[in-house]
Amino acid sequence: MPLQALRSVAKSQNGVGAFILQCKRLDFHYCDWAGSSKGMKCAPLMNAFARQNPQIEITISPRPRKHPVIRGTYINGREKAVCVRNMEKEQVLEKANLLRDASGEKLRKVTKPVKSLNESVRGIWDPFHGSEWKI
Amino acid sequence: MKRIRVERWGGQLLPQRIPRTRCPFSTEAVYTPYHPPRYQAYSENDRLRRPTSIARRHATSTTHPPRTPVPSSPPPPASNDAVEDVDIPSQAPETSSTTSPAPPVKSAKLAALHARLSLPSRLPLRTLHRCLIDATANPHPAHNNSSLAILGQDLLGYYTAEYLLCKYPRIPMAVLFAAQYAYIGAKTLNSMRGEWGVEAAAAPGAEVDKGLLQYRRQKAGNAMAEDGTGREKDATETRPTGTGRTNEQWNYRRGISSRIVYDDQFGDLQNGPASNSSSSLVDSETPASSSLAQRQTGESTTLEQASATFIHALAGALYLHCGASATHNFHTIHVISRHLPIHTLFSFKHPTRDLSRLCAREGFEAPVARLISETGRASRHPVFVVGVYSGQEKLGEDAGASLNEGRIRAAAQALRSWYLYSPMDFRVPSEMERQRGKDKGKPKAKDWTPVMIDPGEIIT
Repeated sequence: MPLQALRSVAKSQNGVGAFILQCKRLDFHYCDWAGSSKGMKCAPLMNAFARQNPQIEITISPRPRKHPVIRGTYINGREKAVCVRNMEKEQVLEKANLLRDASGEKLRKVTKPVKSLNESVRGIWDPFHGSEWKI
Repeated sequence: MKRIRVERWGGQLLPQRIPRTRCPFSTEAVYTPYHPPRYQAYSENDRLRRPTSIARRHATSTTHPPRTPVPSSPPPPASNDAVEDVDIPSQAPETSSTTSPAPPVKSAKLAALHARLSLPSRLPLRTLHRCLIDATANPHPAHNNSSLAILGQDLLGYYTAEYLLCKYPRIPMAVLFAAQYAYIGAKTLNSMRGEWGVEAAAAPGAEVDKGLLQYRRQKAGNAMAEDGTGREKDATETRPTGTGRTNEQWNYRRGISSRIVYDDQFGDLQNGPASNSSSSLVDSETPASSSLAQRQTGESTTLEQASATFIHALAGALYLHCGASATHNFHTIHVISRHLPIHTLFSFKHPTRDLSRLCAREGFEAPVARLISETGRASRHPVFVVGVYSGQEKLGEDAGASLNEGRIRAAAQALRSWYLYSPMDFRVPSEMERQRGKDKGKPKAKDWTPVMIDPGEIIT
C-alpha cells in the first residue's frame, strides 16, 4: 500500500502574518448619581480612544448604584473587568489601555524568555553522535 | 488565446441595482423604506450634493454611480427587470424605493471586524455583511454569500495548491490532500473564524446584529441508524453511488487517481460522505432526519460549513473589490502564516520497500541499513541509532528501541527527506499575473522559469 496521510489542522501564529488584536469588546459602565464615576465621564478622551482602536467594539452604558467598571471581552472568550472607582480620567484611560493590550489569558508567571513552535536551529545535544562512537 | 478576466465576469456577483428585498425571517410587521434624516425632499440633486463619505467604513453601498459635478446625469433606471428575473414568492419587492440608496449598515461589531482584519477600505461594510449571511439564512442569491463563496473557494484552493506544489515539488498526492485540508479545510476555517472574533447568531433575522454570522442551525445528528445498533453519524461510509465514477461496485477502490479526477480539492466526495444518489436518499430517510439531506436542500447547515463559506465569501469579495494582489496577500497573511509541520502528515506502511524501489528508479545503489551508535542493548530501554546508506551516502537516520524499529524509522526518515525536498527560492505562477497587473506597459521584471516537476511518488 502506498503511503497514506494523516489529517490535522494548521495552527495559527498571531502576528507572523496578520495581527489580530485580542481585545474585541470593551464595555464602559458608569453611574450618574455616584461620585466615584466622575473620572469615567471623560467624553473627549473616550472619542479619541475609540478612534485610535477601530477594531474594538466599544459600548458605554449606565449601571446605576454601582461603581464604574470597564469590562473587556477577548477572542478566547474570557472577560476581564477593572473597577475604576475614584480615578481621574487619565487613570481611567490607562486602565482602558491596559485592557486593550492584554490577551485574554489568565495572568501567569513567565519563566522562559522564548516560547516557539520551531525546533532549535542548532539541535539538542544527544550522546550518540559524538566523535568517540565507533560501532 | 485570451486571458479569462475573472474580475469582469465576477462583477455580476456584486449588487448592481437590486432593490431592497425583505429577509424571509424578519419579524418586522411593516417594512418601511429608509429615509435619511437630513434631507426632506429626496431628489437626485440632493443625493449628488451629499458629501462623499470620507470614513469608508461608514460608507453605504456600492450601488452609487460615480459622483459627477454636473447634476444632469440621468437617474439610474428602475431595476424592476432584476426583480422579475428572480422568482422568490416570499419577498415583496419595493419598487417605490429602487432609486434611493440602501440604508447604511450600522453595526459596531461589523466595523470592528473590518478593522481587526485590516481589510482594505475599498471593501465596503455592506459586502462584509453579505459575506456573513449564509444561504440557509437568506435564500436570495444577491443577499447571501453563496456566489461569492464559490469564487473565493476556488481562489483560496488555487493559491494554497500552487504554494504547496512549488514549495514541495515531490510532495505525494495523499499528503498534498492532507496539507490542503490542514490549511483551508472546514475545520481550520472554523477555528480561523473563532480567532477573528466572529460569533454566530442563534438564529438568522433582520434584527440580528449585522456583525454576527447568520445561518440556520442543523438539528443534532444523534438519530439512530436504520439497523438500530448505532448512531447515524457513526455509521461507516456507505458505498457512494452518485460520484460520477464509471465503476462504483464494491470491488473497486476509490484510489488516489480516482480522487484527483472525481473528488474535491481535499480528496473528499463532492457531496459529503455517504453521498448516495438523490432518489435513494429521499426514499429511505426523511429529509428532516438526515443531516446530509438538510445541507443539500439548503435548509440548515453546521457551524463548520457556515464558517468555511464565510471565509470563502470574504476572499471572493476581496478579489472583486480589491483585486488579485489583495486576495493573495490575504491568503498569505491568514492561511500560509499558519504553522503546519508537513513531516507529521506522512504515514508509511512499508517504508523499507518504498525506499528500495525509489533507489532503483533513481539509479542509486541499493539502500543498506547500518548501525551508527547504540546504548542499553541488554536493558529495558535500548536506543539504536540506525542510518540508511546508499553506497557511502547517508539517506536518512533515526533512532528506535529495537534494531528493526531503527531500520524502519530510518527508511521512513529517508523517504520524508526525499518527498519534502524544497528549492531555496521558489516562485508561484500567480506571481506573474500580479506582476503584470502592477507594471502595465513596462517590461516584466523577471521572466518565468519553469519550476521543478517530479516524476511522481513511489507506488507499491
